[in-house]
Amino acid sequence: MDNLRKKAKELLESKSVDLVIGYENGTNGKARAVFIKDPEKTGKLIYDERCKQNLAVYLNKHEVKHYGRIAIVAPLMVMRSILVLISECQVKQENITVLGIGNDGSFLDFQSMEVVEKYISKIPLGNPEPDQVIIDKLNAMTMEERREFWQNELERCFKCYACRAACPMCYCLRCTVECNQPQWISAPAHPLGNLEWHQLRTMHLTGRCVSCGDCGRACPLNIPIHLLTMQQAEEAFHMFGVRAGTSMKADSALSTYKPDDKENFIL
Amino acid sequence: MSRIGVFVCHCGENISATVDVAKVADDASRLPGVVHSVDYKYMCSDPGQTLVKDAIKEHNLTGVVVAACSPRMHEPTFRKACATAGLNPYLSEMANVREHCSWVHDKSEQTTQKAFDVVRAMISKVSNNGALEPIKVPVTKRALVVGGGVAGIQAALDIANCGHQVVLVERSPSIGGHMAQLSETFPTLDCSQCILTPRMVEVAQHPNITLYTYSEIESVDGFIGNFKVKIRKKARNLDEELCTGCGLCTTKCPQKKIPSEFEQGLGFRPAIYTPFPQAVPNKPIIDHDNCTYYKSGKCKICEIVCPTKAIRFEQEDTILDIEIGAIVLATGFDIKRSDFFPEYGKGKYKDVIDGLQFERLASASGPTQGMIRRPSDGQIPKKIVFIACAGSRDPAKGIEYCSKICCMYTAKHAMLYKHKVHDGEAHVFYMDIRAGGKMYEEFVRRAIVEDHVNYTRGRVSTIYELDGKLIVKGADTLLGAQAVEIEADMVVLATAGIANEGSEELAQKMHVSYDQHKFFAEAHPKLKPVETNTGGIFLAGACQTTRDIPDSVSMASGAAVKVAALFSSDLLTREPIVARVNRIPGPSHSTCVGCFLCQPVCPYQAIEREEIKDRAGNVIKSLARINEGLCQGCGTCVALCRSKSIDLLGYTDNQMHSEVLSVLEEAFV
Amino acid sequence: MEQFEPKLVAFVCNWCTYAGADLTGTSRIKYATNVRIIRFPCTGRIDFMLISKAFANGADGVIVSGCHPNDCHYTSGNFHARRRWMSYNAMLTFMGMDPERIIFSWVSAAEGAKWADIVNQSVDKIRKIGPFTEYQKLVQSGIEEENFNG
Repeated sequence: MDNLRKKAKELLESKSVDLVIGYENGTNGKARAVFIKDPEKTGKLIYDERCKQNLAVYLNKHEVKHYGRIAIVAPLMVMRSILVLISECQVKQENITVLGIGNDGSFLDFQSMEVVEKYISKIPLGNPEPDQVIIDKLNAMTMEERREFWQNELERCFKCYACRAACPMCYCLRCTVECNQPQWISAPAHPLGNLEWHQLRTMHLTGRCVSCGDCGRACPLNIPIHLLTMQQAEEAFHMFGVRAGTSMKADSALSTYKPDDKENFIL
Repeated sequence: MSRIGVFVCHCGENISATVDVAKVADDASRLPGVVHSVDYKYMCSDPGQTLVKDAIKEHNLTGVVVAACSPRMHEPTFRKACATAGLNPYLSEMANVREHCSWVHDKSEQTTQKAFDVVRAMISKVSNNGALEPIKVPVTKRALVVGGGVAGIQAALDIANCGHQVVLVERSPSIGGHMAQLSETFPTLDCSQCILTPRMVEVAQHPNITLYTYSEIESVDGFIGNFKVKIRKKARNLDEELCTGCGLCTTKCPQKKIPSEFEQGLGFRPAIYTPFPQAVPNKPIIDHDNCTYYKSGKCKICEIVCPTKAIRFEQEDTILDIEIGAIVLATGFDIKRSDFFPEYGKGKYKDVIDGLQFERLASASGPTQGMIRRPSDGQIPKKIVFIACAGSRDPAKGIEYCSKICCMYTAKHAMLYKHKVHDGEAHVFYMDIRAGGKMYEEFVRRAIVEDHVNYTRGRVSTIYELDGKLIVKGADTLLGAQAVEIEADMVVLATAGIANEGSEELAQKMHVSYDQHKFFAEAHPKLKPVETNTGGIFLAGACQTTRDIPDSVSMASGAAVKVAALFSSDLLTREPIVARVNRIPGPSHSTCVGCFLCQPVCPYQAIEREEIKDRAGNVIKSLARINEGLCQGCGTCVALCRSKSIDLLGYTDNQMHSEVLSVLEEAFV
Repeated sequence: MEQFEPKLVAFVCNWCTYAGADLTGTSRIKYATNVRIIRFPCTGRIDFMLISKAFANGADGVIVSGCHPNDCHYTSGNFHARRRWMSYNAMLTFMGMDPERIIFSWVSAAEGAKWADIVNQSVDKIRKIGPFTEYQKLVQSGIEEENFNG
């Protein structure tokens, strides 16, 4: 922790970065995001198991973007999100300093994004175990049971779009759900509209989701929608051998192909 | 509000026999936006088109739906009609009620209902159409002809004589193709090489033709008028400028017993060779697989004897980048070999040969100097059995089609044999004699009547060797399937003509369609036989299906005219079916967020990066922009774009969405 | 009881399957009347949302068909489409919606007979599965809600 604070302070003092995004102690014993411009305030920075939010979501927010150079406290999910955002031209590689956090909570001082890529290439990637356990359970159900499960869950959605706001990859200026020429998604929060919205979100995140789970955590109704994109992340890896957020190249699952992609359903 | 006109065609009885066209027109007239709806016998006829034109003017139409045949057939017709009447041609759509409806269903209410549903969907689509202006692109006036057989030669000469540059690419060391291998040609029995070689020389000397032999197509990018072709010029291991073609190297090469491809394995060649004496260009190549130097690192005799020091052992393949405006594919055909026939010995009987091998035996320049000698012992066969339809018209062998040339060349073979071996006996087994063509039937008659060739209608079930003879067992179906057995000295199989090796890969490189037998597919079997579905790529000769010399030559001239027509103007008008990134007022400028995931998806590298700058010149936004010259309108980027910022003109989201919704409306089935 | 006649929509590419279906017509091969064909330039243009729109508007089944791998008129549209469908199928399966109602196929411009087979097979298949009532229920509840709100 001291190393993290020291590094953040150094960066701000030397004006290598204009802003540090990290976690601090919030109210009710929770951790929350903090934006630090003053090197003297870097003592606020913390990192522990309460720090779950994917801070990469802020990188593309209008209020943050104009800061220019930014250092960001980045556990694995944040690092991967940053790589996705770089590959999709949303943040500039040279503007980001990664204050890495290892899986054991230790501070990792990365000199460049290439080192981050190398670091990620050596770690086994996948969904967080508790989520994968539920996914496996769902996959073990019959088709009928799964349909019922999702119908019951998605029926409750009232389309607040907190999931969208929490996701670092949902950065479009105009989401398709707001497009009414044509009206792709039925606007009201009824079962059909909800299903269409969540299918849209899932498909748009296929090959881009880094399994941070923030969409699910953001849901005020606790609908486990993060399982949808996490399952797709796993599927994309099985079908195409690609995981999102492992390189700075624009090679997401759905923007590339292999001539010998294997499927078993096309007649 | 749209003012749509609906025009339902009877197509004689082709549509009206199963679809109640009057009802479709009547029902359509009650749909919202429709102000005029009629049916007519032949919409594509002059009076039919006048009906459309008059209605546009009279009712001030904003959209036209013609319910008739496939848009792949008459879309241009009706677009043109609209344009003459002052309506933007892209405000018309066709509802396919013939190929997709009346021809595939029986007369019933459902069929009429389906026709109406399709019409309704197109009305809905056309209401969302926008006026589009054709795109003009420059044309590179240089043609590429792939394949240097008689078809390729003819196409190249014809295009070159129109004053255009031609690049002729041939993968073997010489042009000439199969025709150079033939002895005499039907139905006149003139010597094949005598008529072909002057053409070959003309190609080599033509100022407008650049010839690349021993070269292959590496890749093709771009589109009609603007192809970018990479040609791999394989190393001949020779300085072609220095080589005079004296042939000394080929006579001194120590490797002399390599089966010659040109002689169909019946003769030999050295490791450094020209395929045949009249080869164009008359410059040898080195066959690495059989050259002593490449195998053992020693020899180099050719290098030593070469008077101009032209041998280059270290030479490598070169890749040439050439800009091309149109392509003629003339890659020809191949034939099945005797090893394809287990019932005829599966290639292990030396004296069971195929038609091309017989051509070489009969050729004065062939391995036997034109004497018919059997391959096994060089004896002159006294009895030859010719088997037509070997493989052809045989679904069990996967070849349902008639190879078309075999009836004629079999008659020719039998005749040539009789002319050379007067006391010989020639037997032909055939299924039917197909001799359609000028002087063809007469030619076959001559073989039967004047040259006493014995024709037996029936198939040969098996051939086996016994005491140096080939026992041919067949049936005579004209004598009630009576068994026939002939002790022959030699058997000639008129094996099926097949697509040339590598045609599938080439088709894929060229993005042209091919049929199930890997022959290249024409755009329309009757009306566009030399075009492919890919603009600017044409077909000539046997690469489309097996055909004889006159057919190949006429097809080549046809393809050449298509190329010349394409080159007749400096600008090419292209359909404005292109993708476009939306633009909106600042500060957003576009809903595109510049993720550029669309870039790797585009097969034509048509997606560029556009930077929007403020007054001080700072980049405030990067967004995708489509280069309309390169975009071919596949729409893959459109479906990929998450924010729906790209749309495809002619197939916009609004158009497709409304078509889907409306085709499913109310009554269905 | 009257036989259930399913409604199917076919999303096909212009260059292969549309032309193949034209050939079915030219060859006068008969097939079921239940399918309405919608022409796209390429399978790459087919948005998965159009498939869900078709179901929402009463389709019992959807056929999606284009050029065989390596035969795409635009080189790679069908390859991208294939990945999209693989992902879409995986998602539907995980959401408990059997993708059996969507029939994917490659039908070339030469495969007129195959197109007739695909249509007939698909119609038979959907006829056996029955109407897509689960989805229609979703649609209905949507309409009720909208009426209630409005």
